[in-house]
Amino acid sequence: MRKAYVARQREALGRKSVAVLPVHYPKEILTAMDVLAVELWGPPGSPRGPEAGRLQTYVCAVVRNALAFMAGGHADVVDAALFPHTCDSVQGLATLVTDFGGWSKPSFVFQHPKGPTRASARKFLIAELRALAAWLGTLTGRPLDVEALRRAIRLHRAIDETKARVLARRERLPLSDRELYEALRRGEWLWPEEHLDELRELEGKLALDAPPRAGVPLMVTGYVPEPMALLDALDDAGAYVVRDDWAAVGRRVVVPRCAPDLDGDPFEALATLYYEAPECPTRSLDQEARTRRLLSLYDESGARGVIVHEPKFCEPEAFDVPAIKRAFAERGAPLLYLETELETELSGQTTTRLEAFVEMVGARRAA
Amino acid sequence: MIGVVGKLGRRRLEYEVVKRLVGPLLTEVESARARVKSFRKRGHQPKGPFGPPLESARKLKELMTRHYLEGRYADGAVPVAWVTSGFPVEVLRPLGFHAVYPENHAALCAVQRVVPHLSEAIEQQGYSRDLCSYPRADLGSVVLQETPVGRLPRPDLLCCCTNICQTTLYWYRALAAHFHVPLVLVDPPFVYGEAKPHHREYVRDQLEELLDVAGKVAGRRATMDEIVEVTRLAREGTLLWGECLAESRNRPAPWTGIDGFFHIAPIVALRGKPECNAYYRQLRDELRHRVDKGIGGIRDERHRLLWDNLPIWFDVRGTATLLAERGFNFVCTSYTNAWAEAGSRIDPADPLGSAVIAYTDIILNQDLGKRYATLARLAEEYTCDGAVLHSDRSCKPYSIGQLDLKQRLAKDLGIKVMVLEADHGDPRAYAVEQGHGRLTAFMESFA
Ligand code: SF4
Ligand code: SF4
Repeated sequence: MRKAYVARQREALGRKSVAVLPVHYPKEILTAMDVLAVELWGPPGSPRGPEAGRLQTYVCAVVRNALAFMAGGHADVVDAALFPHTCDSVQGLATLVTDFGGWSKPSFVFQHPKGPTRASARKFLIAELRALAAWLGTLTGRPLDVEALRRAIRLHRAIDETKARVLARRERLPLSDRELYEALRRGEWLWPEEHLDELRELEGKLALDAPPRAGVPLMVTGYVPEPMALLDALDDAGAYVVRDDWAAVGRRVVVPRCAPDLDGDPFEALATLYYEAPECPTRSLDQEARTRRLLSLYDESGARGVIVHEPKFCEPEAFDVPAIKRAFAERGAPLLYLETELETELSGQTTTRLEAFVEMVGARRAA
Repeated sequence: MIGVVGKLGRRRLEYEVVKRLVGPLLTEVESARARVKSFRKRGHQPKGPFGPPLESARKLKELMTRHYLEGRYADGAVPVAWVTSGFPVEVLRPLGFHAVYPENHAALCAVQRVVPHLSEAIEQQGYSRDLCSYPRADLGSVVLQETPVGRLPRPDLLCCCTNICQTTLYWYRALAAHFHVPLVLVDPPFVYGEAKPHHREYVRDQLEELLDVAGKVAGRRATMDEIVEVTRLAREGTLLWGECLAESRNRPAPWTGIDGFFHIAPIVALRGKPECNAYYRQLRDELRHRVDKGIGGIRDERHRLLWDNLPIWFDVRGTATLLAERGFNFVCTSYTNAWAEAGSRIDPADPLGSAVIAYTDIILNQDLGKRYATLARLAEEYTCDGAVLHSDRSCKPYSIGQLDLKQRLAKDLGIKVMVLEADHGDPRAYAVEQGHGRLTAFMESFA
C-alpha cells in the first residue's frame, strides 16, 4: 500500500520521497520542500533476503530489518534515505549500507545534538537543520522557501495539537486500540495535509458526552507499537491504552510550554520545538526528567498499570528501564516489562503474560 | 563550618600523605621484592611458548596500583571526575582533578572475572544482560560498593564524550541520576566522509563550555599556559605509546598484542601526566633492546595476526597461549592503535583546535570506509598474514560492519580473516572451549 502511495505521489504530484529511519527528525523541512517522508521502523517480521546476515543477531531488529529491507531493494521506490542520529546502531547502519553496499541513492545523516539546551548545541542544531534543507534542495532541485517552512511548521503544529487532543481523550473514541494506532501511524507515510484531515475526522468521532470506554486503562512506555497484535491482545483481555509514551507515537507529539515564534526565523522555531519535545533517551541527558514525565502522565490519565514495552537489544531504552521500574514501584503502580523483537505476531507466552497482568490490575481495581 | 573545613583538611592531608609517601614507599617495597624474585630466578629459562616477561610489566603494576590507591583518598580532598576513555581530559588535569576511568576499572573487573557478580546485582534492578558489560560492571560496582581496587572515589563531576559510543551517554545518565552530580557532555558528531565545518565548530564550542564547567567545579579556570603544558605531555605520551606499538613491525615482534592490551592502561587513565610518559619511555627502550637482541614476545613466531575490537579480557591469557603454542602472535590491534593515532593529533601550538580534530576523528567515530582503511594499513605495516575480528556482543559500534570488513580484507589483502563472536567482559556470553575450537580451526587453515 505504501509503495503504491509513494509511486502515486510521484506520478500525480511530482513529489519526491525519502525513507526515514527512527526516531526524531524535522519533518517540517521535508514538508516545506514538498518531499514525502516514509518512515522505516524495521519493518516488522523476519529480515528478508541474503542481506539479513550482514548484521549480528545482537543488533536490534529495527536496524537489522531495515538493512535487509533496503539492501533487498524493497525501498527503491523512494528517492533518498535520511538517518537521524538516534543510537550507535542507526549510526552504524548509515555507514554500512551506504559505504559497503545496499543503498546507492542519496542519503543524509541528521546529527541532532544530545543533551539539554546549551548555546553550542542550539547553534549546532540550527546549522544541521540548514544543512538538511540544503541537501533536500539538491535532491529536489529547488531551494527552501522560508515562507513554505513557516506554513509547514504551522501544519505540523496543527497535527500535533490534534493528535494530543485525540490521545488525551482516547477513552471516548468508539475505536479499538488497533484502529486508533493504525490511524495515528498512517502519519508515518501519508502526506501531512491528508494525515491532518484524517486526524480531524478521528477527532470528530470523539463522543465527549458518552461514558468512557469500559475496561482496564493502562499506560505504555516504550519504542514502537509492534507487533500490533499486542493491542488486540490487550483488547481481548479487557484493557486499553489510555496514555502512551511510545517513541514512535506519543513521545513525538510536541505540546510546547512556551510557544515558538512562528513569524520569526523558522529554524529558530524548529530548534525551540526540538527542546520542547518530550524526554527521550535518544536525545536527552536527564533520566529523572523522563521518569517524572511518565509519573505525571500516569497520574493525569487515570491509568491503573504500566507496560514497559521495549525492543530487544535497544540500549537507549534499556538503560532507563530500571529507573522506570523503581519510580513506579515507589508509586505502588503495577508494571509489566515486555521485550519484543519486531515480530509480526505475538507469542502465546506474551499473550498469557498480558492477560495475567490485566487480570491482576483489574482485580486490584475492584478491591 | 569549622567541622567541614576540618574534615576537608583531613581528607586532603590523607590524600597528600598517600600520594607523596605511602604510594612511593609501597612502590619501593614492591620493587625490592621483585628484584629479589628476579635475582632468585636468574639463569632460569622461562617455560612455555612466550618470550621472557617484560621488565616493564612490574612498573606498570606499580603505576596503576598507585593511581587506584590515590583514588581511594581523593574524594573530599581534590575534585574527582569520572571520565569516559575518549574524553578530552587535558582540560581537567591542570585543575587538579583526580580522573577515574570507569572503562579502565571495568576492564580490571573483567580480567578478574567479577563482571557476572557485579552485573547480577543490577540485573536484579532491571538492567538487561544485553547491555555493554562495561557499564554493567561499573553500575554493579557502584550499587554493591565493591571493587577489586579497594574503593573508587565519589565523583563531583561526570564527563562523557560520545566519540566512542552513545552507550556512554546512557550509562552516564544513569550515574548522574545515582550520584546527583553534574554531567558534562562533549558530543562530537560522527564523521561520515569529512567532518563539516559546523561539526568542528560544535566540538570547539563544547570544549569552551567544558572549560567553564570544570572551572566552576574546581573553583578556578585553567590558564592557557597550563593547558598547553598538559597538551604537550599528552601528545608526547601518545607518541611514545605509538613508538612502543611500532616496535612490533619487527620480526619477531618483541611483545605480544595481548601485552599491549594491558600496557595501554596509562595512556588511557594517566594521559597528560609526566609519570605516564616516563613509563612509556622505559617500555619503549626495553622493547628496542629486545628487538636488538632478537627476543620475541613469543618464542617461535611463524604467523602474524591483526586483532580488531576490544580484547576478551577474561580470556586474554588463554587466547594468547593457545595462539603462541602454534606460533601465532597478535602483532597489532586496532584498539591499542587507536590511542596512538588519536592523541598524536593533539598539538600544543593549538590545544583546543587540535583537540577538536583529535577527539572527533577517532576510529569509532568515523565511517566504516575509514575503519577498513585503518585495518588494511595496519595489516600491511605489520606484515600480518591473518586477522581475527572480535565480534563483541557488548560493543555494537565496534562490531557493526565486521562481517563486511571480513570479506573485504580477505579479498583485497589475500589474508585469512575470521570473525570470533564473544564478549569483552562477561564470561557468561562466551563459551571458551567453543571459541578456542574455532581459533584452532582458523590456525589450522594456515597449514
Ligand atoms: S530500537 Fe533502539 S537500538 Fe534499535 S534503532 Fe531504535 S533506538 Fe536504536
Ligand atoms: S565497549 Fe563499546 S559500547 Fe561499551 S563503553 Fe566501550 S565503546 Fe561503548
